[in-house]
Amino acid sequence: MLLEDEPWVGALEGIGTDPPRPRLRRAVFHRIVAGQHDRTVEAVTRFNPHVVVHIAVWEPYSRATPDSARELTDDAATSILGAAAECRALESIVVRSGFEVYGRQRNAVTRPDEDVVPFPTCDYGHTLLDIEHTANAIGRRVGVTVGSLRLASILGPHVPSPLGRLLRMPAVPFSAVADPPFAVIHQHDAAEAFVAAARERVDQPLNIVSPGAITAYQAIRRGHRLPVPVVGPQWVAAKAASYLAGAPLADHVKEMLQRGRLADNARAAEVIGFAPTTTTSDVIDQLYRWPSVVHHPATKAVA
Amino acid sequence: MPARAEPATSAAQQLAEVITLPVRTVGNQATGLAGSSIRTFRAWTANEVDDWGRDNAFVNRFWSASQLRWSTSVGGSEHLPKRSGALIVINARRWSLAPIFAALALGAEIDRAVRFVGRPDVAPLGPMMQRLGALLPSEAELAGALRAGELIVLGAEHRSTNRQAGLIDHRLVGAAVATKVPVLPAATVSVPMRRNARVEIGRPVKLRRKRRGPLDELETADLLQLRIDDMLDEMGGALTGTPLDWLPTGGMGGL
Repeated sequence: MLLEDEPWVGALEGIGTDPPRPRLRRAVFHRIVAGQHDRTVEAVTRFNPHVVVHIAVWEPYSRATPDSARELTDDAATSILGAAAECRALESIVVRSGFEVYGRQRNAVTRPDEDVVPFPTCDYGHTLLDIEHTANAIGRRVGVTVGSLRLASILGPHVPSPLGRLLRMPAVPFSAVADPPFAVIHQHDAAEAFVAAARERVDQPLNIVSPGAITAYQAIRRGHRLPVPVVGPQWVAAKAASYLAGAPLADHVKEMLQRGRLADNARAAEVIGFAPTTTTSDVIDQLYRWPSVVHHPATKAVA
Repeated sequence: MPARAEPATSAAQQLAEVITLPVRTVGNQATGLAGSSIRTFRAWTANEVDDWGRDNAFVNRFWSASQLRWSTSVGGSEHLPKRSGALIVINARRWSLAPIFAALALGAEIDRAVRFVGRPDVAPLGPMMQRLGALLPSEAELAGALRAGELIVLGAEHRSTNRQAGLIDHRLVGAAVATKVPVLPAATVSVPMRRNARVEIGRPVKLRRKRRGPLDELETADLLQLRIDDMLDEMGGALTGTPLDWLPTGGMGGL
């Protein structure tokens, strides 16, 4: 919808596994499941786009198990980016990545900027870095610009997020000895960043994150949840308990709770003029205000 | 009959109230104390942290508590930039936690977050120091913070007295050189037996001869050490807080 409102955007087509929720005015949607390589290639090459925005990334335990998420993400990246390389009109590729590529090994920079060499320490980070490498290789080969938006954890009412699900549980585990800070990004701000990156034809990685930071304990307190301090081997029990409670604790989320996850977003403001509208604390507050079930009254009586 | 029973009941009640009164009072006091403790704990732990994990309310409480031990005065704060970043290099006496107290004292003086270098990346000490504004002792971390316009205190190698500054890590100074922010020397003087401490900030250092390579940070670090030594001399050299300071062993007194 944001791209539809952009004056520089002519024809607009999208591919997704699930149909879009809002009514699209002029964009054409193709429902293609990740892995249907031929259909993806056909749809992309027939459209012959100038700009490809690739956001088909499955976060582990958001809608799929870690193994399935990696497989789906790899399939989607291979098909879409491979098909984009065949398009003569292609000028720019923008791909979704994440802070997880920086890794949180001991003595890792607290707030890495884009110049820090990626060194992922979780599976999801490796998956995201693979997407960046694939896109960059294609960009070099066919001579187009490639921009990677390294996003903080996305939270929003329509985004399935393992972090959001965990924080909304009645009792939430947190690291008793560290409780490090992390930052998040609202789904709307993330979408704005993709639009701005596509408009500016970004040719470098950019960190996208809301200003401010919060610790898990502070987030739990803001949501009036029961904080459960966890130390060392107790994380195994916490992981099992959260799995049984319906909010599996993904490895990259556990790493964030134990080691924190921040990044410097100054370059995004310089390069694409991106300024998030929601702070990290506000995103967390909104997380707890979103209703679990949204009731839409019928617009037309049928009986 | 009821008229005769009533006084007996009320007397028993009165007696019971007299007996239970201290219990109730103590109980109420304990409940109130527990309640206020929980409220205080919740208020103390519900703070927000900034982009680098610094908890301003925690810093203020720590600074207030530290004033029971130290009375720190700051001079030369007019040399600090108003908004942009700068690296302040100080001397450090062993066990004095000089970078921490210098950062807190400067922060209180100029009402701006001042960070310091030297947190371990090990829980729980590392995260606790991060709440106070500590950064990892790495060049990339320092460069990122300086680019973000932060004021950072860097301690020289520890010495047993305040007579001279220790070696200054030129790689960390190199982060300031690379980001083109001012580098200021500062002398810190504290005495274990006394309450008073002093942080004196000098003018930004500039090399007379501009270097293109790594000699820039090496010579800047050497110049910083020299300037801090000069400032320490002006402040009276090493002090012990005892009558030993009166002995004329250093020409003008002091050890």
